[in-house]
Amino acid sequence: MRSIWLMLCIAVTAHAQTLQRAEQLWRAHDYKGANQAFKQAVAASPKDPELRVRWGRLFLERYNKKDAADLFSEALQIKPTYASALLGLALVANETYEGKSLSLAQKALEADPKLVEAREFMGRLKLEDSDPKGAVVEADAALQLLPGAKDALALRAAVELLADRSPQTWVAKIVAEDPHYGRGYETIAHFLVLNRRYDEGIDYYKNAVAADPNLDSAYSNLGINLMRMGREAEARQALETAFNHGWKDDATVNSLRLMDSYKNFETFKTSTTILRLQKKEAAVLHPYFEAEMKRAMAAYDKKYEMHLGRPVQLEVYPDHEDFAVRTMGMPGLGALGVTFGDVVAMDSPSGRRPGDFHWASTLWHEMSHVYVLTATKFRVPRWFTEGVAVHEETAAAPDWGDRMTPDVIQAIKTKKLLPVAEIDRGFIHPAYPAQVVVSYFQAGKICDYIAEKYGEHKLLDMIHAFAQTTNTTESVIQKQLGVAPAEFDKQFLAWLDTHTKYTVEHYAEWREQFKVLREAAIAKRHDDVIRIGLRIRDLYPDFVETGNVYVSLADAYIAKGDNAAALTQLEKYSREGGRDPETVKRLAKLLEAANRPKDAAAALERLNYIVPQDPDLHKRLGALLLGLNNTPGAIREFAAVVATKPLDQAGAHYDLARAYHAAKQDARAREEVETSLEAAPSFKPAQKLLLQLSSGASD
Amino acid sequence: MRLMIGLFALAIGARANTFYVTVAGLGGEPDYEQRFALLATETEKTLKAHAPEASVETFKGANATRENIRAALGRIAQMAKPQDALVVLLIGHGTFENGYKFNLPGPDLSAAELAALLDKIPAGRQLVVNTSSASGGGNEALRHANRILISATKTGSEKNATVFARYWVEALGDPSADTDKNGSISAMEAFRFAERKTKSFYEEQKRLSTEHAVIEDSVKGGSAGQLAMSFTVLKLNAESASANPAKRALQAKRDQVEAQIDQLKYQKSLLAPETYRSQLSKLLLELARVQEELDK
Repeated sequence: MRSIWLMLCIAVTAHAQTLQRAEQLWRAHDYKGANQAFKQAVAASPKDPELRVRWGRLFLERYNKKDAADLFSEALQIKPTYASALLGLALVANETYEGKSLSLAQKALEADPKLVEAREFMGRLKLEDSDPKGAVVEADAALQLLPGAKDALALRAAVELLADRSPQTWVAKIVAEDPHYGRGYETIAHFLVLNRRYDEGIDYYKNAVAADPNLDSAYSNLGINLMRMGREAEARQALETAFNHGWKDDATVNSLRLMDSYKNFETFKTSTTILRLQKKEAAVLHPYFEAEMKRAMAAYDKKYEMHLGRPVQLEVYPDHEDFAVRTMGMPGLGALGVTFGDVVAMDSPSGRRPGDFHWASTLWHEMSHVYVLTATKFRVPRWFTEGVAVHEETAAAPDWGDRMTPDVIQAIKTKKLLPVAEIDRGFIHPAYPAQVVVSYFQAGKICDYIAEKYGEHKLLDMIHAFAQTTNTTESVIQKQLGVAPAEFDKQFLAWLDTHTKYTVEHYAEWREQFKVLREAAIAKRHDDVIRIGLRIRDLYPDFVETGNVYVSLADAYIAKGDNAAALTQLEKYSREGGRDPETVKRLAKLLEAANRPKDAAAALERLNYIVPQDPDLHKRLGALLLGLNNTPGAIREFAAVVATKPLDQAGAHYDLARAYHAAKQDARAREEVETSLEAAPSFKPAQKLLLQLSSGASD
Repeated sequence: MRLMIGLFALAIGARANTFYVTVAGLGGEPDYEQRFALLATETEKTLKAHAPEASVETFKGANATRENIRAALGRIAQMAKPQDALVVLLIGHGTFENGYKFNLPGPDLSAAELAALLDKIPAGRQLVVNTSSASGGGNEALRHANRILISATKTGSEKNATVFARYWVEALGDPSADTDKNGSISAMEAFRFAERKTKSFYEEQKRLSTEHAVIEDSVKGGSAGQLAMSFTVLKLNAESASANPAKRALQAKRDQVEAQIDQLKYQKSLLAPETYRSQLSKLLLELARVQEELDK
């Protein structure tokens, strides 16, 4: 018995030594060694959940979420209520923006109410959800358990800063606990960035690396945020420091790659705009993007009663992955565009399938953020700035913006819309996959409702109110709209109901009949398509996606020789926001055939906001505009054809020459016609124009 | 290059005939079956509209059998002369296992069999446009002097259904494919048009491109692409040599100025930009005036 006891003692000591060694190696940044040591420790004590949890935390720190999650799950198989393992899973869920992080953290606390880190994490989640009061409760609970809980102290400091109060008391306590605790500053920076206060966030990331020069995650975040703000030299330095220290997570590597690719971009500057476009598409996109930036800025200057006083930088990425790097860590914003103060990054129309993306709508959305963030000094809840931006999309043109999707219909039907005071949660910690989309829709509709009931200027009043940091969503709603948030929710939902009730109530019927319609369309049973189509079209008029009722009806009418009826359907499609380029081109053709060239040109003009990279569009539109004697428009469109570097160089330059000639700019016309003839010397129409130009006409 | 085209045109003479054989192969599925047949029909319509005197044979559906193709090519072998041209267009699916085969109802047609049939045709210039999947796998067997090969895929291992055919057919009906505006679509012009549109298709659809079209030609002593540039697939606006001596003189003058322009373009990099521009401007105006006289 004595010898068995001795053997057990030796085993326990060896196990403790292996774990200690793993932790030491980890602290010394020898991650491979630490991993090996954990492996040995787990092999020696396979029933110890703590070993797996610690090993999982190593993986989590080294950005391997999957292995971390597996180890936490294994620990839970050993002990189903093991609090540290539940917390580990909550941390993983938060990194992957899953909604279950809160419930997992709650479970961890139920399993061990004294787990300080779980309390701190709950506080972090609450502050991420724009619930500072809740965050303070959790942080204080953690401090009650452990007065020196540094992350709880950092949370308290962040709460103070976000409310524009001094965080000094709490920062001093962190320093007193550990002067090299960079993570405290990193936590504060995280919340500043999350609230779009990038410059202040950058300062705190700098404090973090000053306190702990080995805090590579802070170097990485510092670099990413410097890059977002267009401070590229500093950004590269910080990112390279992280990378050279061995911090090679996706965000760092991708950001460095993105910066390397900047040599492939071209920058166009005016006094109010800086436009960065990829060289390959710069010539085509430049005139459209720059003009739209200026148009948006002129509209917003007037609407928001302010001038930015500095240029806005817009970066347009044809490769969605490049753009995605810009959105790292910003859930819900990543899809199309993102704004960092005065810097806006967005997808290029060429980065998406034709018809999937309305770039001008996105541009106006992001530019609205620039104004709202500036006017509120970045003190604005996410729901409100997103809501105003969505509202601006359709305010610019009714056919812009996103349509009501089946996900949104479902959310309305199942009463999943959040109260206005909690809507930020839908953006930051979505509880179901479509909640981000639903939250955008809801925020936009709230702003539509406010503009309709209280007047457009009320939105500006609210912007100014949010600029006062003492104001919260609740207080702004109460003071500016004169109703309590709960009453506002009631009134808003009643208003929304009047706009969506018909579709929501008939959605199931529409879906059922839509299937029947598709079958009839495939079988070319045109009479059935017309009968069903006319019955269900207006049950869900927002549906303009593939296979939509408008196009099915138009096809059926054309097959029956009724082009006028087909035209009516396609006009409705376009008015409802239909964006498929081929369908809109069909509409333009029908309009031309109906002797309505002006309307045909207007239909094609819409496509410039969707597929400006399409040479066929520019060629057709240029011809229509030239026919309508709109020579500036024709010059713009034919110049766009030339910019696409078409195979038919002769034809493209000849068209441009014709437009210049019509605009009485004969010197330019001659230049273009000679370029055309250089490509095809025997091109007769160009020869005729050359002779005409040589017979005496001049500028 | 224009000079070269002129020489070829002279060599062929006005009596040269073009034989067109278009085959829409086995679709396997109704959708493909319909698509292939439609493209073949459209091709036939375009050819008959622009080349009414040419021999146009189209095989589709149940008619597109190996025996029928053999018979058609056999007939052409009897009729064609060295100055004639032959255009074979294959639309459909292909396979590449122990050699390339074009899929047909009944027995397939292998590249080796097709090559043997084509070798018997005396037409001095031949163009084979194989738009099927795996079509690149047939090029080795089909390679022959003065035969241009265009395949939708680079190799036999590109096995997915292709879209190249759609754009090849489009090229024949789109005047913008005639990039030198000489009133005819050359094999190279049609190839470039279809190749670019195919590339755009995959880019726009955000799909990995599963076909990479190739063109190859071989003419003794010539450079790559030379034959394809001078091979007229379709004449959009035919101009015949004039019997009027005054007009013939003008046509000669036009050819001379065109040659001078070609010469100047070759020297572009050696000249100062303003010198080049001024000389080009003068020649282009002269050419336009000659053409104006000719058109009177």
